[in-house]
Amino acid sequence: MKKKRNEKSLVMTNRMYLFLIPALTLFVVFWVIPLLMLFRYSVTNFNGINQNYDFVGLKNFVTLWKENIIGVSIKNTVTYTVILVFMSNVIGLALAMALNAKIRMKGFYRTAAYLPTLFSAIVIGFIWTYVYMPNNGLIATLMNQVGMDGSKFNILAGFKSALYGITVVDIWKNIGTAMIIYLAGLQTIDDSMLEAGQIDGCTGFQLMRYVKLPLISATITINVILSVIAGLKAFDYVFIMTNGGPGKSTNTLMYTIYKIAFTDQMLGKSAALSVIAFIVIIAITIVMLFFMNKREVEL
Amino acid sequence: MKKFLSLFLSSVLVMSILSGCSTSSGNNSSGDGSSSGDNSGDKTVITFMTSGTQATEGEDFETQTLKKMVEAKFPNVTLEVTKLPDDQYYTSLKTKLATGEAPDMIWVQPRNAGANAVYSLAKAGYLADLSDLNAAKNVPGTGDFTYEGKVYAIPCGVQFLGAYYNKDMFEANGIEVPTDWDSFLAACETLKNAGIQPIVMGDKDSYVMQFGLYQLAANAIYPKNPEFDNLLTDGTTKFTDKDTWDKVLSMYSELYEKGYIEEGSLGIGASQAIQQFIDGQAAMTFDGTFNASAVKASGAVDFERGYFPLPGNAAGETTYVAGAPGAGPAVYADSKNAELCKQIIEYWFDAESDLCKAFQNNPRFITSYDGAPVDPLFSSFIDAYNNYNSFYWCNQAWPAGTENEMQALFGEHIGGQGTTIEQITQGMQNKFEELYTE
Amino acid sequence: MQKKNVTNLIIHILLCLYTIVTLAPLVIVLSSSFRSIDNMTSHINLFSEFKLDSYISAFTRMNFPVVFMNSALTTFGSVIIVVLIASMAAYPIARIKNKKSRFLYYFFIAGLVIPSQMVIIPIAQMFNNLGIAYNRFTPMIMFITCSLPFSTFLFTGFMGSVPISIEEAAYIDGSSLFRRYFGIVFPLLKPATVSVIITQGIWIWNDYFFPMVFVSRSSQFSLPVAMIQFLGDRENPAQWNVLFASCILCALPLVVLFLVFQKQFVNGVAAGAVKG
Repeated sequence: MKKKRNEKSLVMTNRMYLFLIPALTLFVVFWVIPLLMLFRYSVTNFNGINQNYDFVGLKNFVTLWKENIIGVSIKNTVTYTVILVFMSNVIGLALAMALNAKIRMKGFYRTAAYLPTLFSAIVIGFIWTYVYMPNNGLIATLMNQVGMDGSKFNILAGFKSALYGITVVDIWKNIGTAMIIYLAGLQTIDDSMLEAGQIDGCTGFQLMRYVKLPLISATITINVILSVIAGLKAFDYVFIMTNGGPGKSTNTLMYTIYKIAFTDQMLGKSAALSVIAFIVIIAITIVMLFFMNKREVEL
Repeated sequence: MKKFLSLFLSSVLVMSILSGCSTSSGNNSSGDGSSSGDNSGDKTVITFMTSGTQATEGEDFETQTLKKMVEAKFPNVTLEVTKLPDDQYYTSLKTKLATGEAPDMIWVQPRNAGANAVYSLAKAGYLADLSDLNAAKNVPGTGDFTYEGKVYAIPCGVQFLGAYYNKDMFEANGIEVPTDWDSFLAACETLKNAGIQPIVMGDKDSYVMQFGLYQLAANAIYPKNPEFDNLLTDGTTKFTDKDTWDKVLSMYSELYEKGYIEEGSLGIGASQAIQQFIDGQAAMTFDGTFNASAVKASGAVDFERGYFPLPGNAAGETTYVAGAPGAGPAVYADSKNAELCKQIIEYWFDAESDLCKAFQNNPRFITSYDGAPVDPLFSSFIDAYNNYNSFYWCNQAWPAGTENEMQALFGEHIGGQGTTIEQITQGMQNKFEELYTE
Repeated sequence: MQKKNVTNLIIHILLCLYTIVTLAPLVIVLSSSFRSIDNMTSHINLFSEFKLDSYISAFTRMNFPVVFMNSALTTFGSVIIVVLIASMAAYPIARIKNKKSRFLYYFFIAGLVIPSQMVIIPIAQMFNNLGIAYNRFTPMIMFITCSLPFSTFLFTGFMGSVPISIEEAAYIDGSSLFRRYFGIVFPLLKPATVSVIITQGIWIWNDYFFPMVFVSRSSQFSLPVAMIQFLGDRENPAQWNVLFASCILCALPLVVLFLVFQKQFVNGVAAGAVKG
């Protein structure tokens, strides 16, 4: 069934490429060309409003470098992404495994875990602002009730903790999707495989490590890809919950790009950072695709 | 190659069909009308985009009162008002300007303030000249909306920054309203010793730092050199100059060091800070007149509210207030209905009109017109303003973005990140030089 | 047997804990939304009051019926078009195995990682250059464009599981390319289609960015744009109870759909992804 590459097929003619036209047109006109326009703006002092702008060479890039904006925002984004990918996948997988067992109220737990994904990021940002609120927020009140000093709890105010605080929110929202995808992956595993493993005397851990995980490797791949993308694009919760603060401690790449363009009104400089972000993201994607490719020989 | 060419050509074809589609659906949608009622084809739709949040009780001025009264006065007009929170408004406005289809009327801020500053929009040619309107001649404060001799927007009243305080708490501790910096610090100390949190600020929304800082600047910088900001542009003055911003920042920082402003303020949002104030958990909060209705809302305890200008002056000197004309409506230069928009603005600010009376009676706006109703809470501010004992808000004279650098660095300073006052002023100076273009 | 019960109990306890953590913020929103507008006492006092004031205020000020229809139409329309053109695009990419296909595949995937905030100004200028009219349907162009990378990715992956032999049989029977695709291949893509509808439908329904930017008239706004009008800003702090009520109103249609079609949801999201 598998065809060799570049083999001409009578059934699969090149005429099939006509099917691509609508999608490709939209994609090129409204996504690729704007991106190229952005590349052009990166060497200008365009402020986004005034159409009389000048070519400034690499000045924007130099400024970004000098102000250490590149370093800080890449570091924050990568930290955010790594935590998000790790936590949402580990918890998502654990949940899926628990729910895959024969237990009661499965449906209820599943529904509860999936509910957060239905809410828009802006709503979730606002809810969690309240959860984190010092003194009389949800967590602070609960701490007070169990006899701890809730007034000391102020995660969004800490220069070190704020970034983790917003990552938790993204994890909270992401787990539902990850869990459902893992659940489906686990359900594709044939029971006979597991029985065979049990007969061979595998412990529960061995069964998971050597039978289950390899069998759902494709599921792991897609979940990791989805959460990496979500992490690299991190914007909403920074925008709603911290505005990059305190200080500049939660400036992610996307938020910094947005802020430079719309608050500082320097679209040129923000375009320059976009170019850098684009290169970083593409580099990460290529590495990921490389690993994916190794798994999926088909494409 | 041939294949790619044909692909390209067909793409162009699809494209033109697509844009044709959306144009025709555009016609449809204005034809079939929406339930909010532009069902007769003759009506002109005027769009007005403004920043803010819809009132949740009572009538909202822009989306309800204004719409109703304008449509009553101009039967052929349907006024569609959109109100978005600041950040969303900025993004939306900027993108709409780039699309070449901005709303007919937009909301702009004085001088250089914010992403909707009148100077930058007028300079880019996006605003229609309103100089000929009676409103431009009669309404006070249009000076801050004048660019190269032309008036581009009409201010909606004046706005002040000040300190809201809990009168009951002040009385219970025998504190008079302070009129100079030392007595202000003494008042805070008294409150603190009485176990009361003197001031609460929502520094997580770092713009609230401006509320305190600008009041201090109005006393510590501008009385000595009213041209301070103008001279920044040619380098005669600098943010790093001795006894200017370093002084303002260290005065304000003192409030944090001594614990007068609640610890951990960087984790509290602006509206949560107001909530704590009205719940009686703190004696004061620095805020603007624009937030009066939120500050007056009832909280966990009942108490009488007062409002005084944060005195950054030495004993015996006059206290200056930080007051400025409020933002106001402008007309988009390429609007097809520019003339109609001008008539609407004329009607809005004609002191005799019903709309103008409704506007003056709306507690959200403070007008300095003769005979206009004034909230007693603010009367002393209006007097100071009319006696010229007031200065504008600093960021109105800076290129947008300078204040954000100040906030971020000051946040690091009070958050114990080792950022010094010198580094803040240097950072502001660097940002100013980077952003300033002429 | 004893051991299994203990394990089960522990699993139950952990799941309960997780469920509480997950639901607590949502329960608070729900409880606050039922309070009267100026009841700002601690939100922790759950369901201390049952009033519909906040809902009434949110409902009328959002102009709910109108914005709901706008949202429903744009979401529905976008999703249908996405399913159609993304699956079509995936067809040659999955079926013709050569370098061109592989390039196109990665070309689309690269689009997955670019957030819209980054390119919004050039996109707006593109709209301007093409002279596209602005109305409630304009954001659909961007909804569709932004959904393409992920949907194409999903369909391409899934198409691998559709046997080629069926098509070869149809070819021998003399079916045209179009009939072969729409008559045979497309119906077999159903799991992936459901997956695309759900994942893309949720984000399109919740997105406020494109409607906010590309729609000027308030009567043409979508639900999330109407909702963000209740968010506070520096001069107007949020009225939490009304904001929460509007949040619930915004999410309610999705939640109802989810509860009704739960099984399809769960299987759907996964099926496309797992086989992909």
